Amino acid sequence: MNSAGEDWEEAAAEAVREASRQGRAVSAAEVLEALAARGFDVTSPDAGEKAEAALRAHAGLACFAGADGAARYHDPALLSATYAGIMDRKASPTLLMAEEIRANSREYPRPVPVELFEAEPFGLTPEQIGDALRAMAENPAFEDIAFTATSTGAVYLFSSRSLEPGYAKFLAEHAQNLAMNP
Amino acid sequence: MASATGGFAGKVLRVDLSTGAVSTESTVERYLDVLGGTGIGYRVLWDEVPAGTGAFDPANKIVFATGVLAGTGVPCNGRTAVTTIFPTCWPKPLVGSGHMGGQFAAKLKYAGYDALIVEGKADRPVWISIRNSQVQIRDARGLWGEGIRRATLEISREMGGECAVAAIGQAGEKLAPMAIVANSVSHSAGGVGGVMGSKNLKAVAVQGDGAVRLAGDKGEWERLVKFHLSILGGNNQHVVPSFPTPQSEYYNPGSRWVGEPGRRWGAAEPPVEITGNIRDLNRIAYRTNSAAFYLGANAWQYTVRGNGCTGCPIRCHTIVKVPSVAAKYGVGEMGQNTCAGLLFGRGFFRKLAAGDKSHTSLEACMLGMHLADDLGLWCNYGQLQRDLIKLYYDGTLKAKLGAKEYDSIPWDKYESGDPAFLLDMIPRIANRQGELGAVLSQGTAGLFTAWSITERDWSQDKETAYWKMGHPKHHANEDDGQCGVIINTQYNRDAQCHSHVNFVRNGLPLAVQKRLAAETWGSPEAVDAVGDYTPANVYKARRAKWALIRKELHDSLGLCNWMGPWVASPLKERDYGGDDSLESKFFSLATGLKTNREELDRMGERIFVLHRALTQRDMGEPDLRSRHDTVPDWVFKDANGAAPFSKGTTRMDREDIAKAMDLFYEVMDWDRATGAPTMEAYARLGLQDVGRRMQALKLTPGTRG
Ligand code: SF4
Repeated sequence: MNSAGEDWEEAAAEAVREASRQGRAVSAAEVLEALAARGFDVTSPDAGEKAEAALRAHAGLACFAGADGAARYHDPALLSATYAGIMDRKASPTLLMAEEIRANSREYPRPVPVELFEAEPFGLTPEQIGDALRAMAENPAFEDIAFTATSTGAVYLFSSRSLEPGYAKFLAEHAQNLAMNP
Repeated sequence: MASATGGFAGKVLRVDLSTGAVSTESTVERYLDVLGGTGIGYRVLWDEVPAGTGAFDPANKIVFATGVLAGTGVPCNGRTAVTTIFPTCWPKPLVGSGHMGGQFAAKLKYAGYDALIVEGKADRPVWISIRNSQVQIRDARGLWGEGIRRATLEISREMGGECAVAAIGQAGEKLAPMAIVANSVSHSAGGVGGVMGSKNLKAVAVQGDGAVRLAGDKGEWERLVKFHLSILGGNNQHVVPSFPTPQSEYYNPGSRWVGEPGRRWGAAEPPVEITGNIRDLNRIAYRTNSAAFYLGANAWQYTVRGNGCTGCPIRCHTIVKVPSVAAKYGVGEMGQNTCAGLLFGRGFFRKLAAGDKSHTSLEACMLGMHLADDLGLWCNYGQLQRDLIKLYYDGTLKAKLGAKEYDSIPWDKYESGDPAFLLDMIPRIANRQGELGAVLSQGTAGLFTAWSITERDWSQDKETAYWKMGHPKHHANEDDGQCGVIINTQYNRDAQCHSHVNFVRNGLPLAVQKRLAAETWGSPEAVDAVGDYTPANVYKARRAKWALIRKELHDSLGLCNWMGPWVASPLKERDYGGDDSLESKFFSLATGLKTNREELDRMGERIFVLHRALTQRDMGEPDLRSRHDTVPDWVFKDANGAAPFSKGTTRMDREDIAKAMDLFYEVMDWDRATGAPTMEAYARLGLQDVGRRMQALKLTPGTRG
């Protein structure tokens, strides 16, 4: 407890919720900082581990591996895992785009229009998108990322791990035609 | 009985334009078993309009019918079905219905009527004035020749601004089969305007001061309405937004839920910025912007607000203000519409130089809406525009029209994608001017009858999107494999069914859709990923049956099938499930007649089978399977030669579609060989009288040699 009599575990969960309300998932280290600011003693050497264990055990919270490999916590009722993941990867346009393309190809399944990444919450400039695509083309870790173009010239991106090129092309054409097929 | 039943207004109004007689009958006593809407329409045609009646014969009747839930607080209500012998149906007119939203349905009910049956033919142009129990046939000679807007304005001046006016334009007056009736600016029912014109009926105006009485517990009703709101998505019940958001696990760039926080209704005065939680039930109207969905993000700056039908929070008829259109083309700067109506102008052009989401495209749409919604011209779900494209580019028009007429058309503007072309073309067709106007205003049927083009020429060509009987596909194999094909075989015009496509396009991941499909139709195999189709199975046939029944139910309850049914929802806490028994819960509470999903679906099936019987009786055809439930050849082709069931094709397999039809007839309890309902099916659905008549006509299975 802190001097205000607040429960440590509940305060840690509240710190995660607060960050979720702001659209961010947080690491255990960030939670400890928030706890310290609220007057909790977080100096013990196992404070980090304790925080991780408490957050993982909390029924209302969820966690995923962040772009740096460390766990990120969020309250899924306030912040979806999809959105949290996008915000977590924003610092690296290449990773941001690749993971989003892969998730779309795997889950729905569908290719995504390249303009998607210019819109919020991605908010990339056309230059950043171009740079990221070039970087992916040169890096074997992203060799699954591919593109297809529709008959009207619209470019769609997909992951060959989940979508065959022919099917991706069909789906891109289908998506492009939705507005002319009401 | 009638007065004790809630939901219904209580009476069906009948106006005989030949004699001037006005009468009423009890809705519940006469029509309870067919609910309302298309149900009443089909019943009236079955009972009162003999087989062989032409669409424009005085003996044809036109039935404006709404339903129990119209005019209540149920989300997405306010629909009127307009049922008649349909003039664009080829090679002979058969039963069909157009559906309009707006305020007409609610006003009709507030005036005390669930439906209006118009029969006979007036000896001069008239309009019908309905003000509660006062019904008058009024002289419309001063309105004849005017567009829908002027007619609406003049009548509203007299009836008061609160009335709803359903009027025809010049196209309907000139008996164009391709004519609409429209109310509330943009809410139109296609194909029926000429039938009104043939009766010399310019408009029906209605003002009602009553209310719809609800029989059930008001608290329960309020809770159910609130729950319904909570499971709504955007337009077409797309349950995930088009953008990633903290409030949603899923998104889909192709979703019609485009109202992202930060977007602005830029032409509102003052402009309105979308803020707050996208799940807020008081902000549902921000989700849909049809102009932005169809015309791209550029349209946000021209958006004034959404508009729509009574009690509908979706408001898919987006109002846009584009001053440049007024300056360039001399039409009003404001326009509103949705879907095919919004695309009316753009659809004529094969290609627009700056693309489909350019400003030119927006101008073409504005111009098209203005002209078509005033002249009262129908597009037959885009078939009119596709027909013109094909006829022009394959040289048919040049060959069929005289040189003088052909040269009088500004084809240079057409080829360059100049919207000004529409100022010539749309009035030309609506006014039935020249050979081109006379033929195209008949719809695709006109090409077959006047120009000896064969139906095969159209049904071979995928680009036409032509299906059968003079009409196009409406969400067929391109969206939903065999399910879409089955649905498209069933009507005498385009199928107008959205039950199935609202589900497959809802934006949820395939695994979630399959889980919901298993819960609703018995197996995840009831649904496939688009273009990754698996062979026909009974679960798909069941889903097709469900889709058709719900379409008829919605059309007969006054609900919008462009939004329902509500099998899926945006709610993670419900595992993205909606509530498939919502319609029956509302029906029970509104009427006080307790029912459940299965019982109400049986009523929907009764209505659907009545349509089937009416079609078969008027065709005089025992074998509907091969003579009516047909599939165009293009469905069995692929431009790249891909085989059916290979990934990335919508090509269907003939044997498999035959099997799909077998399964469908089985789940419908119809004869597999002929697709005709059996006597058992008629009896099960309480349609013994219909069955006996069909048997006497030798149109039930086994009654011919
Ligand atoms: S979704 Fe559109 S057409 Fe349907 S009820 Fe609402 S406003 Fe009317």
